[in-house]
Amino acid sequence: MKFNRATRRKLFSHGMTVLTGATVVLVLIPLFWIIYESAILGASVFSLGFFTQNIPAPCSPHPGVTCSTNGVGSAIQGTVYLLLLAALWAVPVGLGAAIFAVEYGGERAIARVISMAADVLSGVPSIVAGMFIYALLIVYYPLLVFSVISGSLALGVIMLPIVMRTSEEALRTIPHSVREAALALGISRWKTSVRIILVAAMPGVLTGVLLSIARAAGEAAPLLLLDNGSLHPCMSVDTVCQSLSLTIYLGATSPSQNWVSIAWGAALILVILVLGLSIVSQLVLNRTARKWGQVG
Amino acid sequence: MTRGNPFRAPSSRKRRKVSKWGDRIFLALTAVGAAGVIGILVALVVVLYHGSLPIINALGIKFLYTQTWNPYGNVYGIVPFAIGTLLTSAIALLIAIPLSIGAAIFLTQHAPTWLREPVAQVVQLLAAIPSVVYGFWGLIVLVPIMRYDVDPILANVLGWTGWFSGRHIGLDVLTASVVLSIMTVPTITAISKDSMMAVPRSQKEAAISLGATDWEVTRRAVIPYARGGIIAGVVLGLGRALGETMAVTLVIGNANVIPTSLFSQGQTIASLIANDFFEQETPLELPALLEAALFLLIITLAVNIVARWILARFEAGRAVGAE
Amino acid sequence: MSGTSESASTTTPGDQIVRKKGSGRTAAYVVVGVVIVVVIILLAGYYAAGWFKSSSSSSGGTSGCTAPAATTISGAGSTLVAPLMDAWALSYTASTMNYAAVGSGAGISDITGKTVDFGASDAPLNPAQRGAIPSPGVLTIPESIGAAVPIYNLPTVSTTLKFTGQVLAAIYLEDITNWNNSALQAINPGVTLPNAAIVVVHRSDGSGTTFAFSSFLSASNATWKNTLGHATTINWPAGEVGSKGNSGVTATVKTTVDAIGYVDINYALTNSVSFGAVQNPSGNYVVANLTNIASAVKDATATFPSPSGDWYNFTVENSPGAHDYPIATFTYLFVYSDLGVAYSGYTMDKAQNLINLLLWMVGDQTGQGQTFSAANYYVPLSTAAATYDVNAINSITFNGAKITSCVQT
Repeated sequence: MKFNRATRRKLFSHGMTVLTGATVVLVLIPLFWIIYESAILGASVFSLGFFTQNIPAPCSPHPGVTCSTNGVGSAIQGTVYLLLLAALWAVPVGLGAAIFAVEYGGERAIARVISMAADVLSGVPSIVAGMFIYALLIVYYPLLVFSVISGSLALGVIMLPIVMRTSEEALRTIPHSVREAALALGISRWKTSVRIILVAAMPGVLTGVLLSIARAAGEAAPLLLLDNGSLHPCMSVDTVCQSLSLTIYLGATSPSQNWVSIAWGAALILVILVLGLSIVSQLVLNRTARKWGQVG
Repeated sequence: MTRGNPFRAPSSRKRRKVSKWGDRIFLALTAVGAAGVIGILVALVVVLYHGSLPIINALGIKFLYTQTWNPYGNVYGIVPFAIGTLLTSAIALLIAIPLSIGAAIFLTQHAPTWLREPVAQVVQLLAAIPSVVYGFWGLIVLVPIMRYDVDPILANVLGWTGWFSGRHIGLDVLTASVVLSIMTVPTITAISKDSMMAVPRSQKEAAISLGATDWEVTRRAVIPYARGGIIAGVVLGLGRALGETMAVTLVIGNANVIPTSLFSQGQTIASLIANDFFEQETPLELPALLEAALFLLIITLAVNIVARWILARFEAGRAVGAE
Repeated sequence: MSGTSESASTTTPGDQIVRKKGSGRTAAYVVVGVVIVVVIILLAGYYAAGWFKSSSSSSGGTSGCTAPAATTISGAGSTLVAPLMDAWALSYTASTMNYAAVGSGAGISDITGKTVDFGASDAPLNPAQRGAIPSPGVLTIPESIGAAVPIYNLPTVSTTLKFTGQVLAAIYLEDITNWNNSALQAINPGVTLPNAAIVVVHRSDGSGTTFAFSSFLSASNATWKNTLGHATTINWPAGEVGSKGNSGVTATVKTTVDAIGYVDINYALTNSVSFGAVQNPSGNYVVANLTNIASAVKDATATFPSPSGDWYNFTVENSPGAHDYPIATFTYLFVYSDLGVAYSGYTMDKAQNLINLLLWMVGDQTGQGQTFSAANYYVPLSTAAATYDVNAINSITFNGAKITSCVQT
């Protein structure tokens, strides 16, 4: 085989193929590494009680004292409340905005403005969203500053643009011919939007909701400001409750061994939750994408 | 006409009246949603601006070029944190861009079709992991590795550049940048992959027919065509890195000074806010933090807007050039 | 993802949308259903576990009076006293007590912003902070006693190191940068100090522990006093590591070889972190323990100002006893003097619950707050201090009216 320029180029090309393949492996290493560490360190504290018992006070084993890891039940409870309350306002508002932009705004400027606003909101750092709610509440309702409600307001601000943009994209995939056909049949506009268009776009909308929930479940920065400091089960939403994401942050910065272990357990739960939601939403969306490819 | 109608419509006039009210209410409801989105954004900017007024009045433009942050001396400057933010993001991109583009190239040009989507979706899972988990993992797992394994090598090999001087304890700007780069990779990879896949076959076939090797096809036909999307992906990834709080604050060392080397402890605007938010011991401290937040917001928004504008141009260009 | 041209299909797009099988819509509904079911199961589980019921059945009785229904009381601030607050929160059942350990600086700003019922701080209010507190103003109520100790991580050194205020100030000023510096060696004869750069760790957040530590450094070192002073936040020199909270500093020093930091003695003891002896004004090197911290407080010559007065110059550091620990500190609660005037939306019930909690915290009968001190490595209040506190707490009013108390025992 002649080692001429052609061969050199071919060898170089093969080398680059290998190199790019290596980058894929490199890119995937952190993902598997994090999942692995979470699994190993987190699973070591798993038990049935881990999901039901409260987070104990911070404790490191020292003479005369043994520590327990109890569980993150209160944190799971708090996270559930936070996400429920956040979704309660963010999903309708985001979905409503998306429907307005697509159905009533169409191609006009108002639709672009709403889209841009959502895009801009999605670039807001989560800590700034927390500051925003803090600054609002401290003027109008100081006693609510530290509560699940304020935490859910901040998380909702983070969820809102995700829901709005993915719903908008999903609604826009429905061809105009469908709307025209429905209107031609005498179906009122709002029935068209809700019972035909929205139903058809449901997978995309649901994907957006699931992704936004996954994102909000993992945010700790706003909660550090707004929903911090409870060692009790979640009694009511106008007071502070624990949450999985904040438990991880507090455990990461704690010298107490039981809190570090609990944090890994919480991290594993959170990773499973978030990856599960992401995988499910990707599956749901993929099935739709393939079908839409056939329709046109 | 009405026989096949799936909806049992009432008489014409009554139906029109009912549907008119239904339409109106629905329009109002959705308009509330739209107003909510815009309103929240406007309220956010107003609240931040209003809160920063005391310090804007007190310091004015000095805030933007003062290099120290000393609440008790009433000295507030954003320079150390702006530098920390830009430095960590820049290094994060420096690491992430070659890896992401390389991964995108492999996935689109070399990987078999059945492998492409599953692997791409696995890469996307990197984006799903919460930032606090990244920070936790970074603190417990990555920091010791950086301190004892990676930093000595860097100090030996690259110490002459001056960027790797001083003692290394693992909690520093470099580790924060590495964590940020891992978090930025999925964004850049996803968008680069999409834009590379959108390159028309004709471009690639033309290159192949001219005798190009795989790499040359990639380098000369695919990447230039996909350039817009790649840049947009990079800029979007930058937007995310700029605002990242939790992962950074756990590993960056929290020193409110301008970093002199990559082994220095530093502070980004976002982690400054997370650390100092509760301070407010001097009257100007909270306004200063709010102004820092406003500064960060403006920068991340500008970056995001630029990214989406590039993407939009890229989409338009693709539609024009599509076969 | 945007819809483009239509392919030639025999069914209308409307049909395809409405009647499509396997369009992913079914999958979507299944997912929604599963999520709803999971959430319902979770909430049902918590309900069954009794977590929705407030803790109306107190394990402790009240001394023959009727306490109001339980409410939530929230406090925030000092991380120095956080372990004790946690112990209190878990033991006090007459109300639900929440405490956010966000640092003394935050505790002060939270009580100023009226977002909490009480603020906790190891640093008293400075004049500016006092001026910033809205009417009717707060009372300063000392509820516990702690001490700042210098912790370090030197695996090769097995004896307890000695420090002086001068040396500590020089370390934190970055004048001494290596562990085997001559000044350190001179006060630790016979100890082999490693030839390693000192990793200096301080607090990144507003901290009463910083206030106590920097007050001590100011009193010991003129340069420190003139340049950095004493406050909850210091303009630290470059090259040092900042960590959040007592727990953050402990964690950083515990995991970073060659590091030095300052934390409350509780954190050092409960996390098995080495801490050094500090030289007191009598010249003795004292390793902090509950006894010599208590004697430091007892020997301190300063007397309590009035609860609503200026506490800024009150200190129990550097007390004259031969074996007193020099960096002892009270830790304070800030509570508004009239709860009805201060907060909108406060009820008499809530006011009573707050008073009951405060009295419980400073009470030393069996099961009350001060009995938890020793086990958590805090020094309990002396009888005189407790009496002072009780009087201060009982002076708190609700819209001018006295608040009847009914303390849990």
